Amino acid sequence: MATRISNTTPATPEEETDAAGANGGIADFDYSNFYYSSSDDIFAIFDPYNEWWYGHARDNGYYLFSQPMSTPPGPRIDLEEQLGHERLKLLNLASYNYLGLSYHPEVIDAAKKALDHYGLGAAGSPILSGTMEIHVQLEKALAKFKKKDAVMVFPTGYSTNVGLIAALMRPGDWVIMDQNVHASIVDGAILSKANVRFFRHNRPDDLEKKLRGTTGKRLVIVEGVYSMDGDEARLPEIVEVAKRHGARIMIDEAHSTFLYGANGRGVAEKYGLEEDIDIHVGTFSKALGGMGGFVAGSQALYNYLMGFARSRVFSCALSPAVSAGVLQALRIAEREPQLRDTLWSNVAYMRGLLAEAGIDVGESTSQIIPIMIRNDRKIFGVAQALQKAGLYLQPIIYPAVAKHRSRFRISISATHTTQQLDEAATILADVMTAEGLR
Amino acid sequence: MSGSNGSNGAKKPSSEFVQYHFRHAIGGFFEFPTANARKILPPHLHPVEPHHGQSVLSVMAFDFHKSMVGEYGELILSVLVMPRVAPGEPLPRSAFYPFLLGTTTKDSRDHAIERWHLPHFMENIDLSFDAKDDGIRIAAAHGGKPIIDMNITPYSWEKVSHRYQSFMHDADGSYMSTIIMESGFSENEEERGDITIHPHAFTKDIDRDNVNTTPFRELWMRDGLQTFHPLDTLASAAV
Repeated sequence: MATRISNTTPATPEEETDAAGANGGIADFDYSNFYYSSSDDIFAIFDPYNEWWYGHARDNGYYLFSQPMSTPPGPRIDLEEQLGHERLKLLNLASYNYLGLSYHPEVIDAAKKALDHYGLGAAGSPILSGTMEIHVQLEKALAKFKKKDAVMVFPTGYSTNVGLIAALMRPGDWVIMDQNVHASIVDGAILSKANVRFFRHNRPDDLEKKLRGTTGKRLVIVEGVYSMDGDEARLPEIVEVAKRHGARIMIDEAHSTFLYGANGRGVAEKYGLEEDIDIHVGTFSKALGGMGGFVAGSQALYNYLMGFARSRVFSCALSPAVSAGVLQALRIAEREPQLRDTLWSNVAYMRGLLAEAGIDVGESTSQIIPIMIRNDRKIFGVAQALQKAGLYLQPIIYPAVAKHRSRFRISISATHTTQQLDEAATILADVMTAEGLR
Repeated sequence: MSGSNGSNGAKKPSSEFVQYHFRHAIGGFFEFPTANARKILPPHLHPVEPHHGQSVLSVMAFDFHKSMVGEYGELILSVLVMPRVAPGEPLPRSAFYPFLLGTTTKDSRDHAIERWHLPHFMENIDLSFDAKDDGIRIAAAHGGKPIIDMNITPYSWEKVSHRYQSFMHDADGSYMSTIIMESGFSENEEERGDITIHPHAFTKDIDRDNVNTTPFRELWMRDGLQTFHPLDTLASAAV
């Protein structure tokens, strides 16, 4: 017999009989309801989960996730809507492609040449046969760019943080991180079996509190720009607190490398704190439009990670074609700082439009601009209306963000035109008006 | 006599539904160390972790105005635990392990111990509710000494009927009851509430220094009905 997921039940046995097959309250469920269960059978949770998924979630908005795109992730895309399987042409403000480099002709050409030269994959772990000349070139170019002794490339951003943290921290050590850091940082800390503490988002005073009473090895972890709210780390204050307590500092600049600072080296460069931070992490999937991640730091750190970053040791090396494309994207980002200027000009332009329209963008100061809906029940309806009106934005809901903090996340790109941003802002304003949200 | 006592001799569980009417039921979910949660929980229950290493301390207060034991106030300290998922049974919204309750009357205390095997602070507590449009404040005290002060804020209101599971464990065995809460309901994660947990025998099991004093979730139920389903004796639990 299947487990029923009905959230509501009547108060008396008589009423329960009447409602035995009903699914009242099903809309109250979300992913968090299906994570924990105690049962003798691993598969016991499948029935209620699938009942929720097929009986409510998919058709009421969750179908908007993972819709397959059939074009590059540029300002205009085609995708297949997943309910009626209709092919849609949409204005795209959902992709991370901040500098528009994923489909830059030089990047594609470099990747094609590497594909011809090396073939599809690296065919081995980077510590065995998987390291190719292109990987070495990429690491050296990144080290020069980041002004660090050495850079180590990982196959994904996720594996970068997991491998790095688990390589360095041990049971009894302390990992103290902002509560809004990426899941890969949390998972790395869990894997390390170190003690973990979270400090309240961007609150140096709470970091101070969480550092108290800790002894031995301490690693404080923050991000440069936070991916859900688009706000910057309060880096000077956080670094001051961490250093005063003798803790090492790691920053993940997934959403800020190649964008922030006079030379694009990130938020740490912006605040002149590059030397004060011990470990710098970045990814290739955001501003460079590729995939993979990297750790920048000392040669000693590189040497240690070579032996102990298990997510890298036991993975195939990054595809040489992707590596070559990323290397070319890095060269373009360095050669053409005007791309960053265009991006920031677009960000300012869009912020102006949204402010004029009275649209709530939360605490964002970056190219990630949340459109705060703050209504968990309405957001999917708004998302469907936006898609019908021709705008592609991803809804972000609980548990990815706190209850009633549901939002759409705009990612501005240097390749958006002001006309496209005008169009997006108009659609947003019209839909939010129609939905009674402004 | 102060202290907890969840046992009142082995009794056959009742098959009746029991209802309690309340004016206010408010709750705050606070992160606290999983090491603390595990010390509180019996071995067969496992805490829910919103963050790795951080479990959830639930502090709830009820202002009951009609029940089989009359009018009374109740303060409940619980740990959020993994719900029981079994074929044919509805999935609950969440599950709790209440590890200490305090009530304002002896009758309500005796009733809850006997009927629901709930562990209690064995003297009457004072519990006040101060509800305003922008929030509700509860103050719990015993013998003139404060136990807990908590402020909870509202968000939007809706009528709901929510299903929960409550697990109990005492010298007689391990139990579970489904609880239905029907009321006006407001829930938020705006981090506007707060709690002060005072040093007191009531709070001795909590690592007070490491409880986050801002609730990550605030709940407020008004003019509602709490219905306990008949107690299930969990056959698999160690006694």
